[in-house]
Amino acid sequence: MKLRSLLTLATLTIASATTYAQETAEAPLQISGSVDTYFKYDFAKAPNIGTSFATDHNSVSLGMIDLALKKTTGKASFVGELSFGPRGQAQTIPDAGVNGDSFHIQNLYVNYAFTDKFSMTAGYMGTFVGYEVISPVGNFNYSSSYLFYNGPFQNAGIKGTYAFSDKVSLMLGLFNEWNTYSASRGVSSVGGQLMISPVKGWTAYINGLHGLDAYGNYSTIVDLTTAYQVTDKVKIGLNAADLNSGDDSFGYTGVALYPQYAFSPAVALGVRAEYMKFKAYDVVPSASVISGTLSANIKAGGLTFIPEVRFDNDKDLSQGFMKSDGLTATKSASQFSLAAIYAF
Amino acid sequence: MAFLYLYIMKFLTLSILLFFTTVGFAQDKPLSNDDRGKLIYYEVVELKDVSQDSLNARAAAFFKKSAKLLKVKSLPVDSMVQASGKMIINKNALVLSRPSGEVLYNFYVETRGGKYRFWLTDFGFIPYQRDRYSNFVPSTTVAIPLERKPGKLNAAEWTGYVKATTREANAFATRFKEAMMNKKIAPPVVKAAPVNPGQKW
Repeated sequence: MKLRSLLTLATLTIASATTYAQETAEAPLQISGSVDTYFKYDFAKAPNIGTSFATDHNSVSLGMIDLALKKTTGKASFVGELSFGPRGQAQTIPDAGVNGDSFHIQNLYVNYAFTDKFSMTAGYMGTFVGYEVISPVGNFNYSSSYLFYNGPFQNAGIKGTYAFSDKVSLMLGLFNEWNTYSASRGVSSVGGQLMISPVKGWTAYINGLHGLDAYGNYSTIVDLTTAYQVTDKVKIGLNAADLNSGDDSFGYTGVALYPQYAFSPAVALGVRAEYMKFKAYDVVPSASVISGTLSANIKAGGLTFIPEVRFDNDKDLSQGFMKSDGLTATKSASQFSLAAIYAF
Repeated sequence: MAFLYLYIMKFLTLSILLFFTTVGFAQDKPLSNDDRGKLIYYEVVELKDVSQDSLNARAAAFFKKSAKLLKVKSLPVDSMVQASGKMIINKNALVLSRPSGEVLYNFYVETRGGKYRFWLTDFGFIPYQRDRYSNFVPSTTVAIPLERKPGKLNAAEWTGYVKATTREANAFATRFKEAMMNKKIAPPVVKAAPVNPGQKW
């Protein structure tokens, strides 16, 4: 009897699997995601460098679990991406509730491709501005840049993208203020992105966004994000941005360079060299920071290890770096971190 | 009697499992290595009584139909056509799937009267990574030759890519051979006849 049940079950399983395969041969439901965890040791024995992620000192801490679903039916598609954990909640979703909780949404949008060249997207999307992203699988370095930390994370809105060719496309859209699921002062922002790919391996995005930012100001951010795969081993990335919201409001100018060298498909070494200048406003004087980060990426199947050392120099003492006594201000900060990221 | 019943059921189960295993794994022709050391899918097909002009016309029709997937690189020289294409390699787990990368390749066809040969080679893998919008996109523009040894860290994944490429190359070859045989494409399913309970039965 038991054997008969097993036989029936096996036959049904095979039959249903075959049926499913036939029905979804073109575009099955995609599920993907990542899990990340890290250890960080700050050489001042207390957390000093305040940019996003890898925040905890001398602790094996959590990043996030990230789960993304995507489905395409004909010309229509949707993406829903949820994240749970510090990296995907309070550290990157500023409209979190009073207890640091949030709706966990990284991406939630629908897309319709009217033609091969023109598509429209509406919903809540990762921002089109900047080089680095929230998901750890999208970055070479585990800690984040000042440009990422101070720029937008997500934009809710509606946008249209027209591809003139494989080498040129243009996106224009209307958005809420930065990083919010719903607008507090209406659809306040207009943004655009021009993508150009002058030669094979080189892609540049020129981005602009004008409207209500995360600091309560109506500002304009202009951003250049570009990467060039010079050879199969050498890649160079660059991010430069300027946020301007008038003389009496917060603003910055920064640039970050990302040279990387791949020793093999599994092992690569990269540097992030960044200069960030915070503009003077009200009674706050201008200040600048220099940061250097050396990271390795070691891949084994779906797992990536990122050992990383980082040195920051804050000549104007604007970042609040402290010596190991916890009392004396210092211009420099340094840390080591080891992150493990599994992507599926 | 019960013993006999159990024996028959066991035999049936094993037979069914063996059948599906055979069907699943016996069809793919493995990729070979050519004189340059490159992986290659190579086949010579005889079609007696079919002229070279007819074969050229059928190949041209195949390229036209596959224009989105295959880009003809050079005009026919003598009787050979070269094209480049790409295959998407998917990672499947039960009912779920996601692209893990794409394999670029070159495709060559040469015809003679009554026969033709074709081969796919220069396979290069480009891994995908998830972008900021949760779409899978190429992580680089420089393809890694599929015959390159990946090292211990990614050996298992690389073997999977080679297997998937073999499967896709076989599927491509099947499609191409059917086109060259000038097989008529299966007509669409006939529209179901309307049901009319009022009619005489």
